[in-house]
Amino acid sequence: MILSRRGLLERLLQGLGVAAIVNRPVPVVQAAGEELARNESGPLTVRVTRPFDAETPVHEFKPFLTPNHRFFVRSHFGPPPPDAISEANWTVRVGGLVERTKTFTLKELRLMEAVTITAVVQCSGNGRAFHRPKVPGVQWERGAVGNAEWTGVRLRDLLAKAGVQAGARHVQLQGADRPVVVSVPLFTRSIPLEKALHQDTILAYEMNGRPLPLLHGAPLRVITPGWMADSCMKWLTEITVQAEESKGYYMQAAYRVPIQPVESGTTPNVPSTPVEAMVVKSLIAAPQEGETVKSGPVTIQGMAWSGEAKVVKVEVSFDEGKTWEPARLVGEDRPYAWRQWQLIWKAKTSGTFTILCRATDARGEQQPATTPWNPSGFLWNGWDRVSVTVTA
Amino acid sequence: MEWVGSRIGDGDGMRTLQKASSFVLASLKPSTYMKRTPRAIARCGLAGRPFSAFSLSVATLSAVIIMAGLAVVTAAQEEDLATVSAALAPRAEVLIIARCSVCHSPDLVAQQRLPRARWEATVEKMKHWGAEVSNDEADLLVRYLSARYHPGAPDHLPPLESEVRKAEPFTQDSVAEGPVTGVAARGAGIFEHNCQACHGTNAIGGHGPKLAKNPILKHEDLFWETVLHGRGPMPAWGSVLSHQDIADVQAWLSTR
Repeated sequence: MILSRRGLLERLLQGLGVAAIVNRPVPVVQAAGEELARNESGPLTVRVTRPFDAETPVHEFKPFLTPNHRFFVRSHFGPPPPDAISEANWTVRVGGLVERTKTFTLKELRLMEAVTITAVVQCSGNGRAFHRPKVPGVQWERGAVGNAEWTGVRLRDLLAKAGVQAGARHVQLQGADRPVVVSVPLFTRSIPLEKALHQDTILAYEMNGRPLPLLHGAPLRVITPGWMADSCMKWLTEITVQAEESKGYYMQAAYRVPIQPVESGTTPNVPSTPVEAMVVKSLIAAPQEGETVKSGPVTIQGMAWSGEAKVVKVEVSFDEGKTWEPARLVGEDRPYAWRQWQLIWKAKTSGTFTILCRATDARGEQQPATTPWNPSGFLWNGWDRVSVTVTA
Repeated sequence: MEWVGSRIGDGDGMRTLQKASSFVLASLKPSTYMKRTPRAIARCGLAGRPFSAFSLSVATLSAVIIMAGLAVVTAAQEEDLATVSAALAPRAEVLIIARCSVCHSPDLVAQQRLPRARWEATVEKMKHWGAEVSNDEADLLVRYLSARYHPGAPDHLPPLESEVRKAEPFTQDSVAEGPVTGVAARGAGIFEHNCQACHGTNAIGGHGPKLAKNPILKHEDLFWETVLHGRGPMPAWGSVLSHQDIADVQAWLSTR
């Protein structure tokens, strides 16, 4: 089926007001030192203009599902040219250690059994800006995360049609995005076969009931529920079953963390492991940082999630973590989704207060005050923190 | 809080450290620092008096001296780094726009706060990945980036001096001499080094639009406006290419 021009336009627009943001005459002209004006009231807070990297303002996390146009955007090279992924041209190929190489069109995928999973997708570098000493990379703060309903087919159903050979251990994922300069390594990733065969690992063509927007990987992206987004390959075109982890920069050098604690600020030569499962984490969505509230009952609310276990407890502190009050878990309770929480705070005295929150999951993992430093600033999950002023 | 100087560890930093240390030493009375203290310590030991109380006061004094030294070093170093970055900015900012922003916008650079060793590694990585910078240019970039975007720099840096934005063009021919005539033969090379990464070999397009036979070539004003000031994701080239360079590229493009 040929995607009509209007269909393509709609898909681009679902990518959000981003189309508008990208086309706005952005003053890239100016010296690097001049920060671009950050439009906090826009749908997203732009971190990098090109390739477009932007996070969700945290106060937008009040709904259970993050709308597509407010969902954080991150890629290494930006989307591929639209014709490379138009439905007319696009296919996904399954090859490598398989009985027979198979190629699927989008139409064929849509005829297969569809599954919908609600899952948090979070950039591995979300919160990187809070690591001290600072580390290189996009300086994400709190909003490179979102919770959406993803609809698609199980990766294992495609692998079954191709037939996985004995000796297969990993599944390599490759998208259609390409660097501007050909000598830059491709963004190639692999996941262990076990994760690829998991019944909840899907290839999604819909996001929150709408066709997957271009900026989120149209026409097809990987969703590895519970794992960080570096496994959630966008613009997927090639699936290669293999014996080893993928070679190349983005698997062997980037997106890895040391397997043991390292001294802050050093580049240690210690063994590392790929970033995989998310760590337990919670955020305060309201009140906002710097907000002024009237004394009396104030609703503090947010959400909490953990990669491979249920969140069982969220607590709030008003005294820098000396004492904690339990918050109430509310709303939808679905595996892989985040859990909303709230606490009614009786703000009696005027002044400035710091509100902290921390979550605990079913394995007993608890959000620490700060996350152990690592050279690339991954997996930040320190206590979330908001300062508010109470007036009489 | 951390002290930047100890982690930057570069030549400029070390010189500042030496300068500042000698300032601290010079500002203390020689009798206090150089003579009396060692002798007092010796006397104390010989007299068999309790050592701890006295050594504590020495330690306190040392701590005060070190703290004062650190404060001076930090202030002096900040000033020094600011001077270095202001001096290098005109050339370095042009390089960032011309060479780094082929792949990513300069805002990615400006949000980093890294010690010199990390900047060296980053620039080296980018060179390895195909950034068109010579060794001298890489060295200039490292010196500039580690002076302006160091770990102690504030989140919101003051804007660069206005002269920087008018940065010196790489090629030094005058732009004030009125219309220039493009030379297609020269334009081919300029295109290859500056435009091809996005607009493709022979201008057939890539990440950026195809420019061969592009209608914009017939709209003189729009073409110049786009090249000089940028458009959408395309960076501005006004401080990178001279008017002659742009005219040469234009002439070459019209032969495609």
